[in-house]
Amino acid sequence: MNGVITVGMADFKTAMVPDLLLTAGLGSCIGICIHDPFLKVGGMAHIMLPTANGSLGGNPAKYADTALVLLLKEISGMGALKSRLRAKMAGGAQMFSFPGKPPVLKIGDRNAEAVEQELKRHGIPLLVADVGGNFGRTIHFDVGTGELRIRTINHGEKVV
Amino acid sequence: MEITQLQLDALREIGNVGSGHAATALSTLLQRRIDMSVPEVWAVPFEQVTSIVGQLDTPQAVIYVKVEGEASGKAVFFFPVESAEIVVKALFGTNEPIDLYNEMAQSALKEVGNILVSSFIMALTQFSGIPLQPSVPALAVDMIGATLDAIFLEEGVLEDTVLFIDTQLTGIPKIEGQFIFLPDDGSLKKLLGAMGV
Repeated sequence: MNGVITVGMADFKTAMVPDLLLTAGLGSCIGICIHDPFLKVGGMAHIMLPTANGSLGGNPAKYADTALVLLLKEISGMGALKSRLRAKMAGGAQMFSFPGKPPVLKIGDRNAEAVEQELKRHGIPLLVADVGGNFGRTIHFDVGTGELRIRTINHGEKVV
Repeated sequence: MEITQLQLDALREIGNVGSGHAATALSTLLQRRIDMSVPEVWAVPFEQVTSIVGQLDTPQAVIYVKVEGEASGKAVFFFPVESAEIVVKALFGTNEPIDLYNEMAQSALKEVGNILVSSFIMALTQFSGIPLQPSVPALAVDMIGATLDAIFLEEGVLEDTVLFIDTQLTGIPKIEGQFIFLPDDGSLKKLLGAMGV
């Protein structure tokens, strides 16, 4: 029986095969999933904002840049090789729109861009980006196979 | 800013008056008795909002209104979908199944949100003497966690602790809703100042 490890908001967790990682209710937040397909270990982070901007206070797992550093450190600690790591991400939606008022900051888009950039900076290929739209997502990540199951309320379910 | 016990009590009182007006408005609209809980004032990291709203991917009908004026903020009203269906059915006077993604149902829900939030804001204005106006309501029928993260993170910043006033509304039979008012940073001082605390 597979264990399911839940990742909260502004939180990150690692897992070994056959366990699954889960994060629920992603809106403009992003779930970053990383695994080493050879060692079958991986991790997930639920980030809320693009960058910590050098601020030292608060929870580093809240931000794309600092959360990724923490996640990679822990995955490496499990024996994964950085050169083998693969990434997928989901979330980054724009949940609300006010008629006649375009949002000043599309925070979901900015989160997605930040994650993409940070992955590039660390040299980790991004295989799947299921981002944007105006709906929430709950995701399950299988660290063994790298399969990412994305569930929504009114936009179906898929495995990528 | 640091919040004193006296200020927390004042905020709870704001919640009490505002939510009381909102509950009365909902009761009039639906012709049902609506009860409200004593408002809670939370000053917690946003990550802990789960402990207040439960499972993050429970589908809820979420109505979001921006409060504009000298003490701006955000007002959010959310119903579990089952309650939202009962509310829409009551408004339409039907027992037929309701599709909450249907345009008619959505505008009815927005209108309910509008009435609730307007009465909350009116109470707030009377109470504090600060003129406030509600924006047009926006609606999402989706996972509660996803909608709240979008609302709280909209400006691209998140304080380590967020402060909000939370009230539960319940009606017989089986209507549940929750109301959150989230004052913007500077507004809190103004609201408290107007109340002399």
